[in-house]
Order: sequence, then structure tokens, then C-alpha cells
Amino acid sequence: MNAIDTPLFLAPSQTRVPPVTALDAAAPDAAALAALIGRVAAARDRTAFAALYKHFAPRVKAYLVRAGMVGGEAEDVTQNVMLTLWRKAEYFDPARAGAATWVFAIARNARIDHARRKREVAMPDMEEPEAPDTAPSAEALTLAAERDTRLRGALNTLTPEQRQIVQLSFFSDTPHAAIASALNLPLGTVKSRIRLAMGKLRAVLEEGL
Amino acid sequence: MIKHHPSAETLLSHAAGTLAAGHALVVAAHIEGCAHCQAELARLEATGGALLDEISPAAMEPEAFAELLARLDEPAPPPPPAPRQAELALPPGLRLPKVLKTAEIGRWRWIGPGVRHAKVRLPWAREQTLMLLRVAGGRRVIHHSHGGAEFTQVLWGGFHDHTGQYGPGDIGEADETTLHQPVADEEGCICLASLEGGLRLPWLSRLFGG
Ligand SMILES: [Zn+2]
Repeated sequence: MNAIDTPLFLAPSQTRVPPVTALDAAAPDAAALAALIGRVAAARDRTAFAALYKHFAPRVKAYLVRAGMVGGEAEDVTQNVMLTLWRKAEYFDPARAGAATWVFAIARNARIDHARRKREVAMPDMEEPEAPDTAPSAEALTLAAERDTRLRGALNTLTPEQRQIVQLSFFSDTPHAAIASALNLPLGTVKSRIRLAMGKLRAVLEEGL
Repeated sequence: MIKHHPSAETLLSHAAGTLAAGHALVVAAHIEGCAHCQAELARLEATGGALLDEISPAAMEPEAFAELLARLDEPAPPPPPAPRQAELALPPGLRLPKVLKTAEIGRWRWIGPGVRHAKVRLPWAREQTLMLLRVAGGRRVIHHSHGGAEFTQVLWGGFHDHTGQYGPGDIGEADETTLHQPVADEEGCICLASLEGGLRLPWLSRLFGG
């Protein structure tokens, strides 16, 4: 195990930056990722950032490629997403959203912005909530991790058909009417699968989020 | 008490970032004032996060991280200049949604008996048809040309159509398959609307026999 795999055991002041290479090491869990963002916010901790980059950059790139960007574009936009993560880390509030959720929202906005780039004006940054006053407590991080686990459980209760529609909605740049015709389904069926899927997510997550 | 929310598929498209910019702004204005939809959006974004986490990763170029490290100390770009916004005469107690802060807003202009509109432009998506509409009591809000989807968020007063009664905080969602002819309530109505396929106004439809 190298230093990146055990980022929580490094002192925040340590700024030596290990290389980012292997993709196959065990992924940090949700609480660890949230703690890493907390360290970037609190101390501009480059070691923590390296671990975040290793985890998120290849995922963000894959997301952008699936949304229709070619490799070079996806790579550039991913760099901007990670730079935003570095600059805005203090706005991350684990009481509000998990680390992956926050990064997803940044990546989604970067994707919208990129589609608009051909025009002269960039889209404004996403609405920034008040930055939390204090670093996230251990309790908040545990709660965030539990919520993420529940959400995965909720996703697993979807039927394969519901899950497919939800996934296509997030990962393809296609309106529901086009998804329906690509799957050879009536639009009404797509819409009702979405409603059923959201009902399940709501039922499983009711007491959280 | 909010009775009309965006449909499930609209909220999902909003969370996924695939809604047209004008519609997205109106939906965001609704969500700003609706705890129910805030929770729904939080769940959907968390779903996006979970899907991102389990996506099969695409390797970055070997030098990518080193290149980004060299950019970390670059200053962040300055925020865009505040957009031009006309001082609109508004009924007391009406606060425009915060999401409008990034948009240009024009003056109230008369566009027909009892109907005024103020153009809303998104600097990053100027082609979108967005407006504030102020309709006097009993007047028709918009007469459709059925060009595409339309979202109407009530900010003040209310309107009704065959789908029901809409008050402050309610959002109306119509598409080309919906024939709806909203009529403003007694006290009138101010709403934020996004239209696809252009707008046909009551006086124009009268002029042209629509
Ligand atoms: Zn709502």
C-alpha cells in the first residue's frame, strides 16, 4: 500500500505529492472521500487532493465520454472539474451531500458549460451555499457514509428496466423521447419507469437526505 | 401550499443536466421555494453521485495530474459582471427568485390588453425564450402555438386552466400535446415562463384569427 491508499493516516501538513498511477487499488469509501475534501478545504492539502484526483478524475472522464465528449475534450473538462474541486472545497458540506454527489454536480455543470462554450459566455458557477463554519465532524462523516450506503441499497431495489432508464438519463445526452425511441418503447412507459424508480428511491431514503 | 410540482421526468432531466437552459432556470426557481422538490433533487443528485462512483473509470493521460498541480495556484477567474436588470415595478411582498440574479431582465412592456412582459435573457444561453409575465385579472396568460414544452412558475397571484388552480410557488408544465389556455385569477398573475417554439399572444391570435 502506498501513501495514496492510506491518505487518512498522513498529517495534513504533509505536502509531498506522490505520483498518481494505478487505478486498481481499493477505492476509498464515502467517509474517507469526504474527509479528504475537508482536508483540501482546511489546509490546501495536496496529498489529500492527489487521492481525490486518483479516485474521481478517471470517473469524471468516463462520465464525460459517455455524455458524448471525445477523449481530449473529456480530459480537459475533467481537469477543470478537478480544479473546481480544489478551489471550492470549502463549500462542500457533507451534511448536505456525499462527496461523489458533490463531484457529480460539478461535473454535470461543467458538461453543460462545455456544451455552451462555443458561445462567448460561460455559465455561472452553481449556486454556492454558505460554506460550513467548521470542518465536518466525525459524526457528520459517518452519517454521510451511512446515507451513501442506503442509496446504493435503494439503487439495487430498482428493476433492471428502471435502472437502465435512470442510468441513461444521467449518462447520455439524450432527452427521454429519444431514449424511448432508441429502446423502442412508448414515451409513457419511459415516464412511468422514471416515476416508479423515484418512488422507490424516496421510500428507501425517506428518513435521510 | 404548493400543489403543482415539475413531473418526475423533468426533475430527473434537471438533475442530469439535460433540460434546456431556459426550462432549467424556471424549474430551479420552483425548487428554490419548494422543500418537497429540494428533497427530490437531493435524492436524484445522490443517485447521480452513486452512478458516478460505480462507473468504469477511464484512465487520464500519464502527465495529467502533474499538469494540474502546476495550475493549482493560478488565481480563479473573476466572477462574471452583474447582468443588467431593469428596476421592475412589482407588487409589495414579491421577491424575484434568486436564480434570476444571473439573468438580464428588461422593462415591463405592453404586449396586449392586460398583458405585459419583461424579457429575461441568460447571458450564456441567449437564444432561450424566457420572460416575466404580468397578466391582469381575467386575462388569458398565453395562447399556445404548440411549438414545444413550456414551464410557468407562479410568483404572485395565480391562474387557472383545465388542469387546475395555480398559486404562488406552483409550476405549470405543458407540452405540444397539451392544449391549455391559462386565465389569470381576479387579482392578476405574475409568473416566470420559458417557452420552446416561441410565443403567440392573445391579441396576435385575435389579429390573425387564431
Ligand atoms: Zn415542488
